[in-house]
Amino acid sequence: MPPGWALRNLARHPLRTALSLLGIAVSSAMLLDMVLLSGGIERSFERLLRGRGYQVRLAIKGTLPFDTEATIPGIAGVLDTVRRTPGVEAAGAVLGASLHGRRGDSLVTLFGYGVEPGAQALYQLERGADLAADDTLGLLLGRPAARLLGAAIGDTVVLVGRLDPQLGRTAVERRLVVRGLVRWLYDYRDQPSIGTVLPVMQALAGHAGADRASFVVVRVGDGASVAAVVDHLRRALPRIEVNSVAELVERFRERLVYFRQLSYILGTVSLAVTLLLVVTLMTITVNERTGEIAALRAIGVGRATIVRQVLVEGTTLTVAGAAAGVVLGALTARYLDAILTSFPGLPAAISFFVPEPRSLAVAGAVLLLAGALAGGYPAFLAARAPIAATLREEAT
Amino acid sequence: MITPPPPGELLLEARDLHKTYRLDGDAVHALRGVSLALAAGDYVAIVGPSGCGKSTLLHLLGGIDAPTAGSVRILGTELGRLGDRELTRLRLTRLGFVFQRFHLLPVLTARENVELPMAEAGVPSRERRARADELLRYVGLAGRERHRTTQLSGGEMQRVAIARALANRPALLLADEPTGELDAATGGEILALFRRLNRDGVTLVVVTHDERLAAQATRVIHMLDGRIVDDVRRGD
Repeated sequence: MPPGWALRNLARHPLRTALSLLGIAVSSAMLLDMVLLSGGIERSFERLLRGRGYQVRLAIKGTLPFDTEATIPGIAGVLDTVRRTPGVEAAGAVLGASLHGRRGDSLVTLFGYGVEPGAQALYQLERGADLAADDTLGLLLGRPAARLLGAAIGDTVVLVGRLDPQLGRTAVERRLVVRGLVRWLYDYRDQPSIGTVLPVMQALAGHAGADRASFVVVRVGDGASVAAVVDHLRRALPRIEVNSVAELVERFRERLVYFRQLSYILGTVSLAVTLLLVVTLMTITVNERTGEIAALRAIGVGRATIVRQVLVEGTTLTVAGAAAGVVLGALTARYLDAILTSFPGLPAAISFFVPEPRSLAVAGAVLLLAGALAGGYPAFLAARAPIAATLREEAT
Repeated sequence: MITPPPPGELLLEARDLHKTYRLDGDAVHALRGVSLALAAGDYVAIVGPSGCGKSTLLHLLGGIDAPTAGSVRILGTELGRLGDRELTRLRLTRLGFVFQRFHLLPVLTARENVELPMAEAGVPSRERRARADELLRYVGLAGRERHRTTQLSGGEMQRVAIARALANRPALLLADEPTGELDAATGGEILALFRRLNRDGVTLVVVTHDERLAAQATRVIHMLDGRIVDDVRRGD
């Protein structure tokens, strides 16, 4: 057959083909978004938790880190126990607390992290220097906090700890020098966060921070079993919630099961719409060309050639529509992601639409198969049409 | 250009052909025992009133419909014994069809339409292109190879259809009302082309209402009510 016959046939009715392509593109975009969405947030969450290589989290019983203001008491002892556990390579405590920073005569509200710089999973240094373990005069700023305070590396910032609203006076005040700018991995968008070494944050938090921490991160050494470490810690620290990242991800996944099912249902609907569009268009196309097809059969063109031709047309339509759908879906996902991740309390690093090669490959293959199958029925009709009867009908 | 079989060789033999259609539960007898034989070099016109079974007979002779009873043999091969694939192959390589409404593919050029049966038969690209151009020259369409069929007149489209029918050097060319959609002058050009084809050795069977076409055929078969009522050879 002459090359490009299928494309030229599609071009016979440009408006119809364009509308069909648009329909396929929209439903493919929806399918793509549903595939990205169905497991996106889980993958994103897992990536975030595993990003710094700490496989275990300890928090106060019944909570997740930063779920409440509850803190782990006697943190020095807890850390000592953790660090002595076989297989543990590193462990670091984090204390989160609200505090204020002075800007001129006014105070701005900040969120502070007290960290142990040698074992932390909270930030990535972007500029300047990290804190040393004993740097009680140093400060790390996220970009939103730097903007809010009007501070840069080398500047001195005054942090104000717990305010006593009844007495109207401050409990603790510290003058710290900005060492570096960091990206806080778990912050929501534009969250103004700062970081100090743990003892400084404990002091700024006052009584609520004395020998306390919000959670502990633990890195298990190569060759050691994460499950064994978790098991050991649970027995050694029965009042503490000990979870491996894998367990946290699984719990997160369980919470999102309905969300995932909804995505699957909507994805299936999109696929069905694509299928129906291609079937409808190809059936119309074949029906209005029955005379032409009968004549081709009469002059000796085989059924296989006719079927192949219709399948190529259906598949071309599906592939072209799906290609446009990928672009449209990616743009939509980006737009929707920007809206969803701006919800308060969600880490900005979380993404709802995360591409996963296997899921994308499966969705692409299913779509292509659907396109081919959708062309299959009209192709079958075309090839089976009785030649003489069709020519007779054409002639009358 | 054309490679005819030896003149006088038996090309086609139809025996006692019956064809009955079902129409709203009623039996319609389109053919009632038609027998005929065609020799290489014949130019046969099948004439008769509408509904007398002319086109049905042509469809049976061309293997695009099966008789209710009877048999058709082409070059010794009985069509009823062939499966769809073999029958399709026989139509592709041994027969040529020309239709009243041309049935060209509008998205293809004149050349591509002529190339189509050759492509299906597996003729190499360069060879089929050369033959398509040669055939288009033969039917008087030199220089029109790249024109889409929608850019051609009715007469030109029918010439392309004739060139397409000749593409695989068929033993027999079957035409169903080839001038039915054309005005008198254009129809006359097609008649002249058919005359020339027959002179060059092509065996033709043409179903027609066109008296001019019937007049130039070497044999005229008259049909009425599903039967051959007269079979006249010129000079008989």
